[in-house]
Amino acid sequence: MTRYAGGLPGVAVAREYKYMCSDPGQELIRQDIRDHGLDRIVVAACSPHLHEHTFRQAVALGGLNPYYFHMVNLREHDAWVHTDKAAATEKAMDLVRAAVRRVKWHVPLEPRQVSIQADVLVVGGGIAGIDAALTLANAGKHVYLVEREPTIGGHMAQFDKTFPTLDCAACILTPKMTAVKAHRNITLWTMAEVRQVEGYVGNFSVTVCRKPRYVLEDLCVGCLECIQACVYKQAKVPDAFNLGLGKRKPVYIPFPQAVPQVVVIDPETCIEFKSGKCKKTCVEVCAERHAIDFHQKEEIRTIQVGAIVLATGFEVFDAARIPYYGYGLYPNVYTALEVERLVNASGPTGGEILLRDGRKPATVGIVHCVGSRDEHTNRYCSRVCCMYSLKLAHLIKEKTGAEVYSFYIDVRAPGKAFEEFYNRVAEEGVIFIRGKVADIYPAGNGDGRVILQAEDTLLGMVRKIPVDMVVLSTGLEPRADAAAVRRLFNIGCSSEGFFLERHPKLAPVNTFADGIFMAGCCQGPKDIPDTVAQSGAAAAQALALIDAGVVELEPNTAHVVEDACSGCKTCIPLCPYSAISFVEEKRAYINEILCKGCGTCVAACPSGSIRQNLFEDEEIFDEIEGLLVPA
Amino acid sequence: MYDVRRTLKFQRDADPRWAEEVAARPGCEGLFSCQQCGTCSATCPLSLYMDLGPRRVIALVREGFRKDALTSQTVWLCASCYECDVACPRQIRLTDLMGSLKREAARCHLYPRRFPVPVVERELCEVISHGRWRPESWRILGAVLRFSPAELCRLLCRRGGLNPPRGFAGTRPSDRRCP
Repeated sequence: MTRYAGGLPGVAVAREYKYMCSDPGQELIRQDIRDHGLDRIVVAACSPHLHEHTFRQAVALGGLNPYYFHMVNLREHDAWVHTDKAAATEKAMDLVRAAVRRVKWHVPLEPRQVSIQADVLVVGGGIAGIDAALTLANAGKHVYLVEREPTIGGHMAQFDKTFPTLDCAACILTPKMTAVKAHRNITLWTMAEVRQVEGYVGNFSVTVCRKPRYVLEDLCVGCLECIQACVYKQAKVPDAFNLGLGKRKPVYIPFPQAVPQVVVIDPETCIEFKSGKCKKTCVEVCAERHAIDFHQKEEIRTIQVGAIVLATGFEVFDAARIPYYGYGLYPNVYTALEVERLVNASGPTGGEILLRDGRKPATVGIVHCVGSRDEHTNRYCSRVCCMYSLKLAHLIKEKTGAEVYSFYIDVRAPGKAFEEFYNRVAEEGVIFIRGKVADIYPAGNGDGRVILQAEDTLLGMVRKIPVDMVVLSTGLEPRADAAAVRRLFNIGCSSEGFFLERHPKLAPVNTFADGIFMAGCCQGPKDIPDTVAQSGAAAAQALALIDAGVVELEPNTAHVVEDACSGCKTCIPLCPYSAISFVEEKRAYINEILCKGCGTCVAACPSGSIRQNLFEDEEIFDEIEGLLVPA
Repeated sequence: MYDVRRTLKFQRDADPRWAEEVAARPGCEGLFSCQQCGTCSATCPLSLYMDLGPRRVIALVREGFRKDALTSQTVWLCASCYECDVACPRQIRLTDLMGSLKREAARCHLYPRRFPVPVVERELCEVISHGRWRPESWRILGAVLRFSPAELCRLLCRRGGLNPPRGFAGTRPSDRRCP
């Protein structure tokens, strides 16, 4: 290979070295530039994704423009994908020859620098968003925290205890929530959604829509007298925070510790909105403050931020999608989140575990892997269900003394003190049955019991166990609108629909869009400690970006040859980054800061008047020729 | 008589290549993706009569315990109702796998002991694969002889007052391997 490369026309020196990316390897390049007076460098090794930057730096230290360098990916494009060694070697020769032909056309380029806005946008006010916002605000950055719901807190606010320590979820979350509200560096917008994101790393312009809550946040003090005064004497509307197990009025506060501590009016159920003929007792009782405003309109705000942290979270799997578990059909089949509310002291039953008919369950079956590890629903393991199932088993046993059966495929307890918790729950007498429940059907004697049918795979026998209550341990899914959010922020997703990280190991909170980071379950299912660790990492990444002050942009951008452009506008709608505009002299203009160098416009331009740095016509044609024509 | 079953398995009894060969058959591709959750056994309307249950057959097949898998009653009790196929979280086509095992068992004359179902299958198989045609009366007689010679004797004795033939021991299929 080295001999072949050395014999190619234009090649002054060809070398083989085991780890060219190591310091001695880079020194070799610098030395050769000095000794042989080299003016172009080709490295045929691994992916440019990994080491292009390394070698460009080495070339720059050798005294050359870093863009006189070209990298051939012999690893992913050749060695890893072929089994025929002889043919692969021949291909490697072709690739190197093509690179040598191309590199002679390279011209010196300079990366451009742009300044960075200091403010940060955090999207989503769950524990991930709260933690990231607090970290950034404590570091002195101004943070906009945008939350869709009337309160921050997310799913964690709905939980009763957290595994494996059994800390009260609300007790550890609410201090953080109030800290967000009180922090002078945080602007909290609830009932708000991001509508549009423009700009680029360091200079995003974000349009946020704040939906009306019909209560003025500045005036409401959270006395909750309007809720008392509402013409609805009884709460009649299913309460979303308690997953429909409790009831609320049209004017309500999601839960007692909600932040902001401001009521919200639901226009779907409020009589004033439906008929306009309500006595408006709520307005009467709020006469002093005038906080209720039925004419509030949605408000559009545009903010300038340097970095964005996405913490949009997850959605619980809809158990009704698995018909044979009978969720929604049999009243005593619950999802885990519903049981979480039943167990909670501020829940609809005041912390008593009661069935829908008011009975206390004597036998409870917990079904693991509902909507996880199943080709029909989601193939992945949702990671948290095993542990929260253990926690619920413990809490149910503790509160009711019921016989608890836990049907699992594998118990996954791979965290700090998780296995110990599993042992503790097993010692408490929870019965673990290894087998996936295949069917749930009524016992048939009208007492509301259902029978769980599963194979006890350790006994090798099918078992039918009648229970009073079934808990379905539902998995975690990407949010239903995750695809729309991805388009909005121009980021990718993995096969399950969770947001895709730039590198699964080494850049787990970065997205492929520069300046946009992510934290929590929008990236994949994870528990609270992992979420908080990730939100800290995302905040640190955002800080590192902002505190650098400037950002360097790759110079591989496209530009218009002005004399040749006919002004046909073909390129404008094609640009995925909206970087091309039309100026009055009948020419297209490319904003080089917005351009990501995808090359779409270059290929589409009918007059060939758009050219791209590092992908000039001569470079590409000579590369192709080099590939196809043996030297 | 005691029928003692050895439950210790030596690795020399396993044939991993056979498992791979089974996994390469059409419909059996999912063999190695089984997570042993037991959904198949729990949905199977016949698993309460089975000696192993479909989950354990899969476990035996993928470990390469050929004889145990092929001589299980499960393979022959499978009524091809496709309940397990529909429910399997890994979308393994268990019915196809059972069919494949059934065909192999018949081809290699490996049958569960003292089990009536394979008799019919065996006869069919002989006609189809070996072209050995015999009159139906012979076939029935042969089947009853194999399945329960004692029953035949009792039947004959009662009807015609015949004495059972002396020294009659019946025939039992030997575990012949495939050529």
